[in-house]
Amino acid sequence: MYHVVLTNRYLTSRVIPLIAVGAVALCAALVMIVVSVMSGFLDMVRDSGRTLMGDVVIELAVEGIPYYEDLIERIEALDESEAASPLVDSFGMLQMPYPQGDNKQSEYVQFWGIEPESFARVTGFADTLYWRELDDHERRTAPVWDLRRQLTPQVLKDGLALRDSRSDRPGIVLGMHVSKANERMPEGGYHPMGDGYWWMPAFDVTLVTIPSRTVGGQVEPESFIFPVVNEFVSGVFQIDDVRVKIPLEVGQRMLHLDEAELVDPDDPFTVIGADPARVSKILIRAADGVSPDRLRDRVIRLYDEWVMEYAERDDLFVMPPAREFGLSIRTWEQVQARFIGPVEKERDLMRILFSIVYVVCAALVLTIFWAIVHEKTRDIGILRSVGCSRIGISLIFLRYGLVIGVLGSVVGLILAFLIVRNVNTIHDAIGRDAPVWSWLTAFGFAVVSLMMTILAARRERMLPIVLWSLGTIAMFGLGVILLLHRGTLVWDPTVYYFDAIPNTLDVPNAIVTMIGAIVFSVLGAFIPAAKAADTDPVEALRYE
Amino acid sequence: MSEPSRTTPTTAAPPTPPTGADFILRAHEVHKTYRMGRVDVPVLKGASMDVRQGEWIAVLGASGCGKSTLLHLLGDLDQSDPGRGEIFFEGEPINRRTRSQRNRYRNRTVGFVFQFYHLLPELNVLENTFIPALVGLTRFSYHAKRPEIHRRAEALLQSFGLGDRLKHRPQELSGGERQRVAIARALMNQPRVLLADEPTGNLDENTGGEILDLLAEQHRAGLTIVMVTHDRSIAGRADRIVELSRGRVITID
Repeated sequence: MYHVVLTNRYLTSRVIPLIAVGAVALCAALVMIVVSVMSGFLDMVRDSGRTLMGDVVIELAVEGIPYYEDLIERIEALDESEAASPLVDSFGMLQMPYPQGDNKQSEYVQFWGIEPESFARVTGFADTLYWRELDDHERRTAPVWDLRRQLTPQVLKDGLALRDSRSDRPGIVLGMHVSKANERMPEGGYHPMGDGYWWMPAFDVTLVTIPSRTVGGQVEPESFIFPVVNEFVSGVFQIDDVRVKIPLEVGQRMLHLDEAELVDPDDPFTVIGADPARVSKILIRAADGVSPDRLRDRVIRLYDEWVMEYAERDDLFVMPPAREFGLSIRTWEQVQARFIGPVEKERDLMRILFSIVYVVCAALVLTIFWAIVHEKTRDIGILRSVGCSRIGISLIFLRYGLVIGVLGSVVGLILAFLIVRNVNTIHDAIGRDAPVWSWLTAFGFAVVSLMMTILAARRERMLPIVLWSLGTIAMFGLGVILLLHRGTLVWDPTVYYFDAIPNTLDVPNAIVTMIGAIVFSVLGAFIPAAKAADTDPVEALRYE
Repeated sequence: MSEPSRTTPTTAAPPTPPTGADFILRAHEVHKTYRMGRVDVPVLKGASMDVRQGEWIAVLGASGCGKSTLLHLLGDLDQSDPGRGEIFFEGEPINRRTRSQRNRYRNRTVGFVFQFYHLLPELNVLENTFIPALVGLTRFSYHAKRPEIHRRAEALLQSFGLGDRLKHRPQELSGGERQRVAIARALMNQPRVLLADEPTGNLDENTGGEILDLLAEQHRAGLTIVMVTHDRSIAGRADRIVELSRGRVITID
């Protein structure tokens, strides 16, 4: 019982345990913040994959998948699937309406030909469209420059239908960063440069591509002029920078994947049948509670049955089975492996590197406890003289370490939660000029500290002189930094993958970090505790 | 109490080995050597003494003669050189006991009072007094015994004139008050023997006298006391004086 009394008293009557708690808290918070942000990125990569392409993707890039409507119908009939949508994709050049004059700029793009209605059911397409009418609440909070204040509901409708209602032509939706005229504002919205002059939905663009399905001869490029009907923001910069969406039938036509007559190879003027329209991908969304892996396995079985059935029915039907080269049926995670893998590796690397912080934490606790045990040498002698055992003495310090570890990790958790939760606010504040009150306050404190230094000097007290002098220098320095601070954009969305920093605390990691901090605090207390147990009581009582 | 008597410069004959429970505490031919760097410094060179039940003995000697070391050996705070002498309590050698028995011996059988009080600065007067009673208690057994422990500690402090100082920290007390708290702590577990190492060595004459009166009072109540001092007038308050010189007992009055 004396351990409890002494640990409590040692903890509450001294400053040194507070320093130890602070050290453990800072170490724990550092690990929690870094790993939470990294895990947040990983989750964002994963979520973006699902938002952009659903759960499972069937892909046959060059030849394309024929009779896809039937396959989609069968897939949608599965219990495991919610919806499926066809897609053609390829690369092309997009001639932009800017700059003024004849030499228009071209952007390299990846275009997706989609069926907007089913595509919206499989992916988060509808939510990603940026140009839409603001509701009353949004209108009140939106900045005055926000063009969305002036929009009608038709803009969103046109985007969702991929059709320009004014000219009744097939439309195109661009990724927000495809147009280099769009600028991300510090407040978070987008604004076209030049007072809305290059607002894309007011212009036409020309898409040029090479058809993917050609039979010998010279390859002729295909082009199409689209009115821009909307722009989308997926949050993934690399996607928003290159991807555009056009109607499926236009995409099929441009890539020569649309329905065509099939002629006799020996007599090109004799039509022997029809070559069905094809798509390069089918995107599938899983039903609620069904994992992508389970859906993929079910789709593979369905696809193989479907291929067998069509092969028996039609001699000209040639499709590879599910696991053959050229055709792939993968979950979005497998498709995104190229992105997810490196981020996962980075997170694990960060975890390992920042685990060194645990060792620093143990070293700090060890150093502090070494000092405490050294200072408490006489107490150890006194306790031995009243019959305390060696184990009992060491338990006092182990318990002390445990309490410091627990308190430190809890404080660290609170600190990490507050910082992670407000990381974008903090970032935005760093990105702006420091407000006048902040540097005025710092200078105010500097003046107060200086007066206290002078007072301490008149009383000839050395410690207060040193402390208040340091305070004066620190406050003056802070004031100068704030005064000169002109906003630093640390997180540039054009450089990083996402346009916002993840702000959710990784709870499992936080729990592991807390346990780690506690274990390392106890480990740090182990050696001083053993030293305390070995202290000769007679020597300890002589210690002054 | 006997009057202090003049010592004779002859080496006292060692007491015979223990035969029974005639003596509550006995040191028999104990040697103690400390290592100072590379040099072995013998402090006790075969010191022997007996303590009878209810007796107040003063161990007298000059600084460095080994009297505190002898007291530490009697209280099992330190051990004699292996195989060179033994300490007996009621006829039983204490250094052949297990570790936990020896911890219990220091906790229950003997009580230490030191020259520099040695109170725990983080604890208040009451807590300093009852800390020996907490040794060996679990959280549950403490809660069961808490009222009894507090009552005994408060009663001791009341009787020592410290009833209004229970919540004070040691640094808020005078030297005499601190030593009274130290004595209260030593008596908390009702020990059989009180071992006092220069209990008045850090106090002025009047305060020292008060402390000696307090010890005398405990002695009259039947407590066995072994007190170390270098002051012959203080030693005179004891029933018997054992004089040490150069690690050996030279006279027993």
